Amino acid sequence: MLFNVSVIALMCLTFFAEEFVPAVEIAQNARLFLAPVFFFCAAVAVPFPTMLMLAFMTGFVWDARYAQLIAEDKAMEQLAQVSSVGGYGGFSTGLSGSGLGFGYSIIMFGVLGCLMQGIRPLFKKGRWELPVFMVGFVTIVWLLVQFIIITFLRGDVFFPQEVWLKMVSDTLMAMLASPLIYLVLHTLARATNYEIKYEGLRYRFDGS
Amino acid sequence: MKTLNLIALLLFIAASVAVFMLDTPTTRTVQSKVMAIFAPFMHASATVENTTSRAIAEDIDPKELLRETEALRLKVQKLTILSQRHDELLEENNKLRNMIGYRERSPFKDLIACRVIKRSAATWWSTLIIDKGSADGVAPDRAVLTDVGLVGKTGKVSPHVSEVILLTDELCRVAAVIDGTREKGILSGERGSLENTPDLRLRFLSRNAPIAPGTNVISSGDGGVFPSGLLLGRVKLFENKDISGEALVETAVDFTKLEDVFVVGSSATPP
Repeated sequence: MLFNVSVIALMCLTFFAEEFVPAVEIAQNARLFLAPVFFFCAAVAVPFPTMLMLAFMTGFVWDARYAQLIAEDKAMEQLAQVSSVGGYGGFSTGLSGSGLGFGYSIIMFGVLGCLMQGIRPLFKKGRWELPVFMVGFVTIVWLLVQFIIITFLRGDVFFPQEVWLKMVSDTLMAMLASPLIYLVLHTLARATNYEIKYEGLRYRFDGS
Repeated sequence: MKTLNLIALLLFIAASVAVFMLDTPTTRTVQSKVMAIFAPFMHASATVENTTSRAIAEDIDPKELLRETEALRLKVQKLTILSQRHDELLEENNKLRNMIGYRERSPFKDLIACRVIKRSAATWWSTLIIDKGSADGVAPDRAVLTDVGLVGKTGKVSPHVSEVILLTDELCRVAAVIDGTREKGILSGERGSLENTPDLRLRFLSRNAPIAPGTNVISSGDGGVFPSGLLLGRVKLFENKDISGEALVETAVDFTKLEDVFVVGSSATPP
């Protein structure tokens, strides 16, 4: 219980710490997304209900802080239709709205958290290789899905090289940070007497 | 599945649906409140960033600094004189406008000077944070400009900080006109252009429009958010697409050197 509460408190702190994380200009302003990466790591260490709670919290705060809510711009849509191309019958520009909706991240984090839960048995055994790889995998999936949804909403498929470079750089940074986060979680688990490591045939708490 | 897990999953789905059902004003209020909580951390991180960059910056020759100060002093004096002259002309202009029955005055009367704190840490959006908020009169969807041209528009606003969606972001769309022509289009950034100052796309122009590279692109005022006559950029290239023309536009504002910007206040009415 104490471990779960501590993880939730740490999760809140990562959002504030995220403000201090600088961008890497040479890699298309890629950066370490500390709060999401912490969530992906914590999703392996906590039980399913706590993971869902963390997913909701992370998604909600992430959207509240970063999501762009753009109101329907009817005047702009009209302008596009009556401009020179209006002579061709007028059509929707697909430009109105097109920001990701508020709450979308909650679902994303929930689904990706479930994926991370799948490797709990391995993590309990103290194996960090796959969990670190999985953090990279879910990070790139998270970014890719975001970009695909934006692309889908705005109507044209567009994947420049810079996008791939940014996604790969963000993912690598997430993978570099994840062992440290796992170390913090393990230390916290030891301090709070929460058992997430597999010890032969006996473990006091299986996390479910 | 265990009962506890099932209950947790159902609660999660119910809470997510509840969040999706929130209307835009409510979510904007939530975002504003969250921005207010994060504001002290944004200020602190900007301070840390500035201190670090100053610490690692090269030493400046004091003589060079002195020369620069002198040059700046002269420039300030010159600008003060120009500014006074400008104010007089503005006043005279407004009087004349009143005399001939114009209802509105210059839309740039109510400008809120803001300092850029930092670039935002979002995933795919080009945004930055400024040090003024609703307490200073900043409202969402207000034009943000410099003396050079348009920077973007305000997005989320909290009492003491606000987010600016840059002109280079695909979400910031401006109705624009090619200077000296009747060619109107919509100017926006390109998705995935992640450099600091990417080129913009001016869409929905006429095919075969006679647009020469180097021509200024200015805001037309349509749409209501951006006042007309703001310099947006210069045409780099014009190309014909399937059913319309499209121009590649170089931004007028250098987004890498943005330090101070102005937000058009709520009392300014766009023409």
